[in-house]
Amino acid sequence: MVVGNLNASEGCDALVIGAGPGGYVCAIRLAQLGKDVILVDARASLGGVCLNEGCIPSKALIHAAETFEHLQHADSMGIVLEGTARIDMPKLKSWKDSVVKRLTGGVATMEKMNGVRVMQGTARFLGPNQVELMQDGRPIMIDFEQAVIATGTTAIELPFMPFDGEFVIGSREALDLEEVPEKLVVIGGGYIGLELGTAYKKLGADVTVVEMMDQLLGGSLEPEINSLLNKRCKQLGIQVLLQHKAISAKPGKLGEVVVEDKDGKQKTLPANKVLVAVGRRPNTSKLDLATVGLQADAQGFIQVDIERRTAVPHIFAIGDITEQPMLAHKAYREAKVAAEVIAGHPAAYDVRVVPAVMFTDPEIASAGMTEAQAREAGYNVQIGVFPLKASGRAMTLGAPEGLTKVVVDMDSQRLLGVHIAGPQAGELIGEGTLALELDAFIDDIGHTIHAHPTLSEAVLEAAEIALGTCAHFASPKR
Amino acid sequence: MAQYTFLLPDVGEGIHEGQLVEWLASAGDTIKEDQPLVRIETDKAVVELPSPVSGKITQLKGEPGEIIHVGDPIAFFEIEGAAPAPSHHHDAPAAQAAPAAPAPQAAAPAAPAHTATLAATPAKRPQDVLATPHTRALARQMGVDITRLQGTGRAGRITDEDIQAAASGQIAAPAPQAAAPVHQQVADQAAQAHTARTPVAAAPPAAANVEVTVHGPVERVPQTFLRRKIAEQMVLSRQQLVHVTHIEEADVTELFKHYDESKKALAKRDIKLTPLPYFIKATIACLKEFPIFNASYDAQKGEILFKKYYNIGIAVDTPEGLVVPVIKDADRKDIVTIAQEIRDLAKRARERTLKIDEMRGGSYTITNIGPVGGVFATPIINYPELAILGLHKIEDRPAVVDGEICVRKRMYLSTSFDHQLIDGADAARFMRTLAEMLAEPAYLFTRF
Repeated sequence: MVVGNLNASEGCDALVIGAGPGGYVCAIRLAQLGKDVILVDARASLGGVCLNEGCIPSKALIHAAETFEHLQHADSMGIVLEGTARIDMPKLKSWKDSVVKRLTGGVATMEKMNGVRVMQGTARFLGPNQVELMQDGRPIMIDFEQAVIATGTTAIELPFMPFDGEFVIGSREALDLEEVPEKLVVIGGGYIGLELGTAYKKLGADVTVVEMMDQLLGGSLEPEINSLLNKRCKQLGIQVLLQHKAISAKPGKLGEVVVEDKDGKQKTLPANKVLVAVGRRPNTSKLDLATVGLQADAQGFIQVDIERRTAVPHIFAIGDITEQPMLAHKAYREAKVAAEVIAGHPAAYDVRVVPAVMFTDPEIASAGMTEAQAREAGYNVQIGVFPLKASGRAMTLGAPEGLTKVVVDMDSQRLLGVHIAGPQAGELIGEGTLALELDAFIDDIGHTIHAHPTLSEAVLEAAEIALGTCAHFASPKR
Repeated sequence: MAQYTFLLPDVGEGIHEGQLVEWLASAGDTIKEDQPLVRIETDKAVVELPSPVSGKITQLKGEPGEIIHVGDPIAFFEIEGAAPAPSHHHDAPAAQAAPAAPAPQAAAPAAPAHTATLAATPAKRPQDVLATPHTRALARQMGVDITRLQGTGRAGRITDEDIQAAASGQIAAPAPQAAAPVHQQVADQAAQAHTARTPVAAAPPAAANVEVTVHGPVERVPQTFLRRKIAEQMVLSRQQLVHVTHIEEADVTELFKHYDESKKALAKRDIKLTPLPYFIKATIACLKEFPIFNASYDAQKGEILFKKYYNIGIAVDTPEGLVVPVIKDADRKDIVTIAQEIRDLAKRARERTLKIDEMRGGSYTITNIGPVGGVFATPIINYPELAILGLHKIEDRPAVVDGEICVRKRMYLSTSFDHQLIDGADAARFMRTLAEMLAEPAYLFTRF
């Protein structure tokens, strides 16, 4: 505790900076372990980008867009709409906001129940055991024994096309539009741009996705899934410009975006909004890390060890600011590890896999190594690919496009990766993730009964294809 | 001011863990580079590590008695200077991060590994360690380096039982030997070996931990690090080799006549002599005649490695347990030189100041249990060697010479050998030759 400081001051065992998925979980866990904890965040509402302007609101929007799209194609199932379905954006928005509010309120309640003190403001280090929290221009000193940095990331801005909140927008604004733009140009074919682009396409916008690379989603997809995705984008009418880069934007009610292909040929795209989703950058520049002897790397990441400890032993870092992938569930796990290490328990961030889900159309989920990564790592690779065309359940859902793929080490029969495209891929990847984390063998999956008729059978089928025991699909001769 | 993290360095080739003995400085101290920082006991020796930098110690990690692994951060410093020192600290998450791992060929030992599944392997890539999250957490809790364990489950899966066994020293967590030449790998194992005799129990710790049970008081004494390593090596040998012991008797009356004369001649020149070097010389002559006894086995390739050198390990009884220093190239040294070396090595073994290299590279081991007592024993082979020789008590016994009963100096010789590679008749021939040489110095000396 600080004595005799003129400023308002607080003290705690553990200070957590940032109340996103990493920070809020870490604070709760620390409190559970008996620590006196202060959690600070610049936002009034807890949950960080994930709850407030990322995962959760975007999934609400995507679900609404999907439901709307399904209705338009429901007639084949004999569902007849009298008149036309239409989108009421303000109502959609307020529903989405109500979801966010319930969740962020829930986090606040959990913090309170666990005795975590939550304070709003922006923090910077003053010394190895002290931060200054700026609260409405008033500094508050907080002393701590140990600190966890969990400040997350911000959308990267294109210098020649800065965010103006109106015409050039980021994902945050894109989740808060008052109306569906007639023409939307998305710069960046990563998962954020493609998810939102697809949602707005389904809500009625003309959507063009501009991507610098020659593949969507950072070229990380299994080739089978990549071709499904391209096919579906075409079917939905999303214009995808690969190997194109943004050059400039002319704002306006109907403005313009100039893009250029790899040969330097320029093209002008009319647009009501331009969504720039070219990546995210760690929020580490305002922390005055140098004060404690820490330094972020060129990309702004703070390096940590397996215990999530930084080079300064009593300061930890978790979540998006430590390393890729920038995913909430990775931060959740890091949060638990850091909290337990701080409380003196043996813990380590030694996870086998971080699953990734892309709420595109088709939904894509993956855990573990891709076939290419496994080959590169020197494994004797065997794969099993099962198309949803052969799945009874997928057909009854009216969604036979998709596949499941397993990557197996032929020598040990160990599962190395699971990749899924199709409805509920994000739910189905849970089985693959658990199997990988338990170091399951392919017959562990192949000999497990999967309920019929469900999509989960598709994981079993892929495993059986790898094992050569599949009865529902004749795979091409190996 | 910059931060510096000191990771436990590789204190000797193949050593991957040790027991913290004591800190020679405290947190808050200002320390100079090369000033002693900590004492670490490995299975080979107690080593003193100097501070790698000059600066202020901000934190020391680990209590005396704790097992620490190479690469663990053990001390944190605040040092003068510009950029934060390149704390190796950061290498760990990078290596752990998954995708861009080296191909397995790169990680595999360059030289062939020796015998079978429990043989030495380098640390595995994290993704190649088969274990559930629960088992991995258990390993952390028990301080077991899971990347160096060979599991007993399918495809080498590590089970909870494997972790518990490793923690209690029942299963070998073999030392890594990435690119070392074969004989060195073999040596590394040999150096950890244990032979037939029962070591003197370790001294109990200062504060005895006595429990009163229904049957009476029981004192709990933690197992020492050396003891654990000995246990690991014993189990490994028993698992890998099929032990059979053959006993022979030798008449050393003539040899000792010669020995007594030499001893007197040398005493005049202030040179000390013991009988053991004669036995070493005789053994080497036999090893040359029966090279399989000076070999080890490469199970991976199914090849026998015949050593073209004669590095003889000598079992030395120390208060903490058995250690096996090695007399290198004993075939090229004379009796006096060997005697001096044995004296020096044994002394330093008891002081635990042997260098790691002095316990490596053995091709064959001799355990001289005779002076302690007994009739004969069944020594355990110093794996990955294939045989061991036990020398037993030399005493005056009645014997029949030329049809008459007379008093002779006689002794039993035992050899345990791996019946996978050596047959009983080979062992019998080896031992008969040895007994003949020991009985007839005139013959023995022609083979020096």
